[in-house]
Amino acid sequence: MNNTIGKLPFILVSPTEGIDPALAENISEAVGDFFGYPVKVSPLLQNIDFAFNSDRNQYNSTIILASLADLAPERCLKILAITDKDLFIPILTHVYGEAQLNGIACIVSINRLNTDLQLSKKKVFERIIKESIHELGHTFNLRHCKDHSCIMHYCRSLDDVDLKSNQYCRYCEVLLSDAIISLSRDPIS
Amino acid sequence: MHQTRVLIVDDELIIRESLAGWLERDGHHIMTAESGEKCIEILKNQSFDILLVDIKMDGISGMDVLKHVKEYYPDIDVIMITAFGSIPSSVEAMKAGAYDYLLKPFDPNELGVLIEKLTDHQSRKRENQYLKEEFKERSRFESMIGQSDAMQEIFKLIQDIQETKSTVLITGETGTGKGMAAKAIHTSSPLKEGPFVSVNCGAIPEQIMESELFGHQKGAFTDAKETKKGRLEMACGGTLFLDEIGEISMRMQIDLLHVLEERVFYKVGGTQPITANFRVVAATNSNLEKAIQERTFREDLYYRLNVIALTMPPLRKRKEDIPLLANHFLHKFVQEINKPVERISREAMDELMLYNWPGNVRELSNAVERAVVVCRSHTIEAMDLPIVSPECTGLNTPSVPGHPSVKTLNDLEKHHIFNILNENEWNIARSAASLGIDRSTLYSKIKRYDLQKNISDS
Ligand SMILES: [Zn+2]
Ligand SMILES: [Zn+2]
Repeated sequence: MNNTIGKLPFILVSPTEGIDPALAENISEAVGDFFGYPVKVSPLLQNIDFAFNSDRNQYNSTIILASLADLAPERCLKILAITDKDLFIPILTHVYGEAQLNGIACIVSINRLNTDLQLSKKKVFERIIKESIHELGHTFNLRHCKDHSCIMHYCRSLDDVDLKSNQYCRYCEVLLSDAIISLSRDPIS
Repeated sequence: MHQTRVLIVDDELIIRESLAGWLERDGHHIMTAESGEKCIEILKNQSFDILLVDIKMDGISGMDVLKHVKEYYPDIDVIMITAFGSIPSSVEAMKAGAYDYLLKPFDPNELGVLIEKLTDHQSRKRENQYLKEEFKERSRFESMIGQSDAMQEIFKLIQDIQETKSTVLITGETGTGKGMAAKAIHTSSPLKEGPFVSVNCGAIPEQIMESELFGHQKGAFTDAKETKKGRLEMACGGTLFLDEIGEISMRMQIDLLHVLEERVFYKVGGTQPITANFRVVAATNSNLEKAIQERTFREDLYYRLNVIALTMPPLRKRKEDIPLLANHFLHKFVQEINKPVERISREAMDELMLYNWPGNVRELSNAVERAVVVCRSHTIEAMDLPIVSPECTGLNTPSVPGHPSVKTLNDLEKHHIFNILNENEWNIARSAASLGIDRSTLYSKIKRYDLQKNISDS
């Protein structure tokens, strides 16, 4: 773990069991570059069986987010959990990820991002990063964006995910900086 | 704001919460109700664009909710939430006017497609309404009239600022003549030879707002068959009037702030910078300070707009202007309709003076217009006015038609709103239009006066 972070607020990347530690490191690097916050990698919640729903054979992401938020360490601004399990919210058949809007925790599942065995590792990693920045965007109070190339665009298919850029559009950029400014004004307790 | 307003009606907490969460992240304004009863209650006070209703609920069923909504709020699109076992009733619901139904759990893509289709549908409706109202608006008020102190102050302020080109923010209730004030500011300013371009921010659907304001380059998007000038460009050398600025979307707020700061803008799809050499006058009837707190309106944009502040007084605070205004409208409509009506009787004028005018000058104008139409002699009598209709019955308070002296102003208002609602079969949009107030104001008044449709006509 990174000790140079000291007393600065940071983003925590939390891999669940089954996630390659190298992948978690790579994600944390990309997220850190993107948001300009220090990033720590720490498996806050390794086992998510408590969220397993046997009827659906999937994991309830809303329940996982609540637990993550409870476990948030001091000065932790946002938590990004990464899992290989298939996620759902009760009203939907599946989700790629979920976030607490303007909250602390979000989660991304790599389960459905790597369906095609022909796919290069690089492509899959790009998808994971896009989804991670998208879900983190929600925790910074960003909603879906109608701009198809914006990373906050809600994509109906993986093709759309591949088509969108890994950047926020100019509007979402402004809204993100609003959220970051207001975070620095009244930091979370 | 043109956020789509969605009401979720489901007796299962977990369904309400997860659906609300998803739709909120999707950018919509969400409310939830745990029963059909609660839903009907909420609808009395708030308007929605889309209802998502669980078909199977105890008490008032989803089907009953659908029927109620289709009868009283036909503008709302209803989607039924269905479980596997209740598909036959969903088909029945479609026959009863539901827009569509979704099987639990929803495929996120299906839900997304459906919501997008509905929001498109809703904004097209808004666009049509916008075109209609724009036309109506243009044929109304031309000049500001008033001898009251309140109006004299407005005239003085407009005179005081006639040398400047600073941005002005006009506040005031609906129907107080904010548009007229903007026009007056323009015609007394150094820019008076230039154009006065008005934009009703509350009426233009978001999809076309950007191209309406900024214009577009040919080929910028599918419908952009030709290069088009936007309102900003049309306003160059003159005044850009942004009415209902409180309704503008967050995206447009960001764009407008940029224009006001940099004094330059681009057409959609364009690369040539256009200099923004126009003055901005904005108006709103909403509380922007509150909107800033709720983070729906940008503080930085507010300060850019609120360089000079002007507040239009409500008509009830300048009642001494009513005779002048009423006679002005009388002559105007008499000419328009070509009817030999010459005056307003003393009694009728007393009624006009007593009434509270929630819809302000616009409502007064509507009332006089109507009176001219129904009047059967050369003189408008009290009974010709929509505010003292003799056939009114059914209110809880004892009323003596034609003798308003025994009633308070609020009684009169309650009475009048009740009559207009009945005349329009409780169609909120039509009633609000005829009262000259917006729908949300009407809803709050219905709530305040506890007006109900089904009071027996005893
Ligand atoms: Zn999202
Ligand atoms: Zn965006």
